[in-house]
Amino acid sequence: MNSSKMPKLKIGALETKIPIIQGGMSVGISLSGLASAVASEGGIGVIGSAGIGMLESDFSKNFSGANIRALGKEIRKAKEMTDGIIGVNIMVASSDYDDLMLVAMDEGADIVFLGAGLPLRTPKKIPMERLKKISTKVVPIVSSARAAKIVFNYWAKAYEHIPDAVVVEGPLAGGHLGFKREQIDNPDYTLERILTEVISVIELFESQFDKDIPVIVAGGIYTGADIYKFLQLGAQGVQMATRFVATHECDASIKFKEAYVNCKKDDLVIIDSPVGLPGRAIRNQFLEDVSDGIKKPFMCPWKCLKTCDYEKAPYCIALALTNAKKGRLGKGFAFAGANAYLADEIVSVKELMETLLEEYEEAARE
Amino acid sequence: MSHEDRVREIIVDQLGVDASAVTLEASFISDLGADSLDTVELIMAFEEEFDIEIPDEEAEQLTTVGKSIEYLEKKLAEKE
Repeated sequence: MNSSKMPKLKIGALETKIPIIQGGMSVGISLSGLASAVASEGGIGVIGSAGIGMLESDFSKNFSGANIRALGKEIRKAKEMTDGIIGVNIMVASSDYDDLMLVAMDEGADIVFLGAGLPLRTPKKIPMERLKKISTKVVPIVSSARAAKIVFNYWAKAYEHIPDAVVVEGPLAGGHLGFKREQIDNPDYTLERILTEVISVIELFESQFDKDIPVIVAGGIYTGADIYKFLQLGAQGVQMATRFVATHECDASIKFKEAYVNCKKDDLVIIDSPVGLPGRAIRNQFLEDVSDGIKKPFMCPWKCLKTCDYEKAPYCIALALTNAKKGRLGKGFAFAGANAYLADEIVSVKELMETLLEEYEEAARE
Repeated sequence: MSHEDRVREIIVDQLGVDASAVTLEASFISDLGADSLDTVELIMAFEEEFDIEIPDEEAEQLTTVGKSIEYLEKKLAEKE
């Protein structure tokens, strides 16, 4: 298998063999198992940190401590399993954002992807002087050129420094989306269009700082042909999450993976998440009950997201997603991207990568 | 120009609304049509105009014109 046709991705001194980043999936869908498998194949494997402490036995008493401990453990495990590149996805809206950033940097994560909010101020525990020197790359995830401009402008003014790359996540992504409901199907908000707009914003900062800022696309990229298409449009890498769920190495239970394999196109629906954002998920009885106004038993051990209206929420999303990860889909649901219905079997990450390379090369030859 | 006038001017500028709509009770999101990115830009504009830093927890409280004026007046009095 000749991978030479798929280009490398360079983020500062970090260089991947293939331009594929496995998107971080929480709660507990991408941990050390999936991340290390992707990293070993030459991509960037990403651990999803949101709610990671839910998998520890003491989460209800010590949520923040459990999150920090669990994240540290998963990064160390991943690093033991591979020499490849390991990243962490952290939600800016997490109540313990500062602590999670500190753990990621202290444990030597190669790169952090910061979504669910705009990373403007640097965490109090990590002064910019440290952030500038540290080898961990910092990459915001945005859903519009406007958001990219706000983040880069803020950093340029406040720190005379800019992030190392940017991920542009379009409306076909799974999980929480950075769009309003009515924008999701609006042709003005396609990933192709937003990518072009983001590239023109980023070019200004690249010349101002004399630094290459790769633009990475995410949201609905599923095949090698999709990868080829977006690289032709000017992206330097792709972030894919949904496609990695139906793999043996994915850290979710078999029932969660089967929900992907079995779902149809119409089963992928947009829900209003309790955290105040729309999200894409696989329809099931749990979600139907919620939309029928049936409130699920609810306890909030700790307000884990700054944006969660936990007094009004009909269910705890961290708990629902943890149940789904464990295969208890009656008490939760699976987030998934718009192309999840294309999954028809569970394969190894190695096999999946080979398929992506073949599809890419086929598209490139045409 | 008073602090209050400067705050009003920034709001009119950033949100592209009519000065008459900028009443003390007006909420940025529900009355003046701001989205989450607008509110971020607004806070950044306040910080720049008055050369101050507004911590996130305090920024989250600044949901109306009146609350912002009151907060900024207090913050600037502390500074002087």
